[in-house]
Amino acid sequence: MKQMNRSMVTMLLVLVFVTMAVAPVSLAKKPWEKIEIPELNEISMPAYERVELENSMILYLAEDHKFPLVELSATIDVGSIYEPADKIGLAGMTGTVMRSGGTQTRSGDDIDELVESRGLSVETWVGQSSGGAYLSAMKEDTDLGLELLADILRYPAFPEDKIKLAKEEEKASISRRNDEPMGIARREAMKAVFGADHPMARHAEYATIAAVTHQDMVDFHADWFHPDRMYLVVIGDFDSEEMVGKIEAAFAGWEKATVPLPADPEIPDFPRTVNIVDKDDLTQSTVFMGHKGIRADSPYYAGVQVGNRILGGGFATRLFNEVRSRQGLAYAVGSSSGTGFRNPGLFLAFTMTKSETSEHATEAVLAEIQKMITEPVTDEELAIAKDGILNSEVFSYDTKREILDRMVMFERYGYEADFLQKYQAEVKAMTKEQVLEATQAVWHPDRMTILAVGNYADWDGDFTVFGPVTMVDITIPEPAMEVPLATPASLEAGQALMASAADAAGGQAKFAGIKSYSETMVLEANIQGMDMTFTIEKQVVFPDKAHTLQKTPFGNMTSVISGDTGWSLGPMGDKDMEAEELASAKEELQTDMLGILRNLDAWTFQALDPREVEGKMCNPVYATGIGDDYRIIYLDPESNQVVMVEQPGVSPMTQAPVVQKVYIDEYMETDGFTMPQKIRLTYDDELFGTGTTESFKANFDVDMGLFTR
Amino acid sequence: MPARNRILTLVAAAALLLAASGAVAQTYLDLEGQIQEFTLENGVHFIVLENHDVPVFSFRTFVNVGSANEVRGITGLSHILEHMAFKGTSEIGTNDKKAEKKAMAVEDETFAALKAERLKGAGADTTRLAELEAAFTAAKDAAREFVVTNEFGQIIENNGGQGLNAYTSSDVTVYLYNFPSNRLELWAYLEGSRMSDPVLREFYTEKDGPVTEERRMRTDNNPIGRLIEQFQNLMFMANGYHHSTIGYMSDIQNISRADCRKYFEENYVGSNIVVSLVGDVQFDEVQKYAKKYFSDIPAGNPQPVETLEPEQLGEKRMVLMDPSQPVFVAGYHIENVNHPDWPVYEVIADVLGQGRTSRLYKSLVKEQQIAVQAMTFPGFPGQKYQTGLLCFAIPVKGKTGQDMEEAIFTEIDKIVAEGITAEELEAVKQRTRANFIRGLRGNSGMASQLAWYQTYTGDWRGLFKEVEQIEAVTLEDVQRVAGEIFVETNRTVAIIKTEEAS
Repeated sequence: MKQMNRSMVTMLLVLVFVTMAVAPVSLAKKPWEKIEIPELNEISMPAYERVELENSMILYLAEDHKFPLVELSATIDVGSIYEPADKIGLAGMTGTVMRSGGTQTRSGDDIDELVESRGLSVETWVGQSSGGAYLSAMKEDTDLGLELLADILRYPAFPEDKIKLAKEEEKASISRRNDEPMGIARREAMKAVFGADHPMARHAEYATIAAVTHQDMVDFHADWFHPDRMYLVVIGDFDSEEMVGKIEAAFAGWEKATVPLPADPEIPDFPRTVNIVDKDDLTQSTVFMGHKGIRADSPYYAGVQVGNRILGGGFATRLFNEVRSRQGLAYAVGSSSGTGFRNPGLFLAFTMTKSETSEHATEAVLAEIQKMITEPVTDEELAIAKDGILNSEVFSYDTKREILDRMVMFERYGYEADFLQKYQAEVKAMTKEQVLEATQAVWHPDRMTILAVGNYADWDGDFTVFGPVTMVDITIPEPAMEVPLATPASLEAGQALMASAADAAGGQAKFAGIKSYSETMVLEANIQGMDMTFTIEKQVVFPDKAHTLQKTPFGNMTSVISGDTGWSLGPMGDKDMEAEELASAKEELQTDMLGILRNLDAWTFQALDPREVEGKMCNPVYATGIGDDYRIIYLDPESNQVVMVEQPGVSPMTQAPVVQKVYIDEYMETDGFTMPQKIRLTYDDELFGTGTTESFKANFDVDMGLFTR
Repeated sequence: MPARNRILTLVAAAALLLAASGAVAQTYLDLEGQIQEFTLENGVHFIVLENHDVPVFSFRTFVNVGSANEVRGITGLSHILEHMAFKGTSEIGTNDKKAEKKAMAVEDETFAALKAERLKGAGADTTRLAELEAAFTAAKDAAREFVVTNEFGQIIENNGGQGLNAYTSSDVTVYLYNFPSNRLELWAYLEGSRMSDPVLREFYTEKDGPVTEERRMRTDNNPIGRLIEQFQNLMFMANGYHHSTIGYMSDIQNISRADCRKYFEENYVGSNIVVSLVGDVQFDEVQKYAKKYFSDIPAGNPQPVETLEPEQLGEKRMVLMDPSQPVFVAGYHIENVNHPDWPVYEVIADVLGQGRTSRLYKSLVKEQQIAVQAMTFPGFPGQKYQTGLLCFAIPVKGKTGQDMEEAIFTEIDKIVAEGITAEELEAVKQRTRANFIRGLRGNSGMASQLAWYQTYTGDWRGLFKEVEQIEAVTLEDVQRVAGEIFVETNRTVAIIKTEEAS
């Protein structure tokens, strides 16, 4: 619904307000029920205008001459849901640096000085699924403010120094994100309900912030900031006609977007999981429970609104009365109905309680929800909830800003302008059976995913009553090491270290002489809660042949690379490798530890300052040469054996960028080499699996038939 | 003007309605003249600003008592009392007034016995303690039978009340919500009766439950909360700002309903109460209902309490070893909000640490890039008594409180040595003018400001004098005052130093 017609707007003006008197709930009137409640004075809808400019920008204007001020707020169809997964933080930082970094003709610092000296306020931001811009100016500064705002929105410069500043802010907030239990709970609950990689739950890491460049911001701005994606609400001391002209001039010539807005990501509806964040410095637990809800255009919208008014959306609700006031378990307790205007909302309940009542309070909350879907609410509760909703409706018209913002929302998300009136009528006619029908359709306490943060050891229960428990590790993945510029000395030291590493593993010459090898390794991994064992038998002939047989719980899988071709054989049949996959498999032959040690000359090694690996100071060597990725090889300072190799990778589960680390826990003597026997593999410092080498043989008797199809 | 797709929706109906209601467009210039006030015989002071745009009104009740009034043993009581103001009256919140009274008396007796045994500490008889705990729980359960849970709040909500809330600070206790304007009399009944006739029911469940959990949430489980409480303890040794508003855990546990009753009777008295209403109300109606429903509040004779903070003789500092990330805070003692130098403090705080062009932001955030936030404000934790000017900084990852300290003191020293520039002072004045006008919009904000000025300065007109007071500040004032307050012996420093979790 891009255009609002006149009749809809007029409808808002003739709305009649239901001013229900308090329904008497007992025969004898209580003292306050005897107080007379006169008719509510009529609501005079403020005059406003809706204008669509030639470039499709939508304006809502309302004059207000009481104060010599002009306030302009823009809603923009942009958000972090549109940013790439390996650059989380790009959208938010673009919104910040648009303002802080200034424009092509004015520096951000100059804008600061100008704005602060005039008492103006000019801001821009990008949130999850909306962006915005805001201007507040004294009347006499309207032109200046508008000029600044348009300049910032259209011609941001994104200078490097302000990008760095924004990145420092992001890094600081990453480093502090586990300081407050409420923050942890909210963040991890979203990940538990949506899935950790969902665009509405995922969050920035040091690596995704570091990956953002000036060009990314330029491109993001160019992709998303266009007049046809923008709604302006303008309120204040101006003449509408004149203001429209000014806005039109300020944004004249701005190109429309060339592609339509992508659909929002689907909101998943997973069954319950139970997730615990153990933090032993806490004396209070924060518990969230939630699952997918509905959109506001669902037939159950009004029913769950009334239901939630009874359950936990207010002061005198069942949750508040029972969990807080009667049992004294919590200060903070409540619920949200689970409706959203743009997307299905989340049905959420939460509480904060002392460690010793964590499970009890969670059960108490879930029990109240269960009651709501089991038996009808009482007549008294229904009457009170309806009165509450209907009597407070007048506040939907409290300020012009509120009214116009709501119109923008309805227009953006495709709701009729009389949505509120229809809702009000539905509430008025609502029966307790309808409330039950709605809550039963939308609320499913047994499906509510649970996330609790607290000192687990002190809890009154281990939460397994709610289902199998998963412990959530909230350790913040450390940023990749910042590598100092190489010097001749650090390069020389790096080469020497790697030469001694090769010597420690059997000798440089011996490695250089490896033309082929065969290896069998057993890998044990826990994948989605299941322990699995894989056996990998690998035969490699340098430079470009490899035959790999993987024995998996699902059957055997063979993949072969042979020069310029590659294929795989498995339960699904015979399949050619994609070019990209083949290239990466071939690269791996040259870039795993053995590949590096047999071909030291192909690499540049830079010695870094000693760094601790699991309690032991090691000598790190920064290796680049083959492929795009770096490796940091940590050597034991005494034996020169490799302790750990760190490199950027991709999570096999989620395909998200991660830091991959291979720890070598034990070595073995075999075939004249000292080779890794026990290894551990982590992604973002989370253990993925352990491996054991069963056999290794260099320069074996090759059956070249393995490499023909 | 170029052609455009335009849907004109300027609707005459609205304008007609407006004209018919007889409302004359107000402008901010004559706002002061539209504010009316009266005082009841018992001293309760009412301030009214009519605004008939929408049929709603906002109010504030400011009770001139806060945690600074508390003495040892009853810290946190102002805040507990604020919670009790939602528990109803002799008419609201009970199904049997007489039976409830008896049951509450039993509760009080068993609590007194339990408390006496608890206070023996290690010498307490554990068997007796367990018996008393059980008796106390039984007494609470018995009293609960007569409670209609949260009836007071429910009446407000089902009559359309919005933003029902209250807060307690070191200085004041404040109650607020917004109501449809046809419920003015109901509002007066509810607000008047909770100021004159609170029953303090569910006292023990409330303080041991929600109030204690609130302390855990705000202070014990929150790093900034932990830091600020200890900082306040250190900075103010003698005056009422020494302890936090939430109070100490042991006091929350030991306070009795009798303590609360006594505190209520001493402080919730007419001369301590200011009520402001802004919105679709008629002044004469407010007067009528105020008289009818607020006259039962006793006039009282509250005695001002102020222990003056002795002169600080040396810098005070603390390092909080904490698993959280570093934070820096420093405070300097300053005079209260009614001191002639107060506007100067505001100018200093603004130039030093408010906004993107402030000295601290430019130096620590933009140039040195060692902080993500660095700010200053006058009036922590209150404004009524001699108080503190606070500097607060959050370092970037990898920087420490020590790094903040050096950079902040360098900027402060510059102001002491050279003062501020004429441009900086002019910019503060310009911002003050703009913010003053912005602050006049909205019923709720106006109600808050009017009651605030009346309570703190004795006259709501202080709101309209703010701009001229800032206008009067000179460069010389700034340098003089900076020289007086920014001395090492007047300073308290507290930092969080990150300690790895075990």
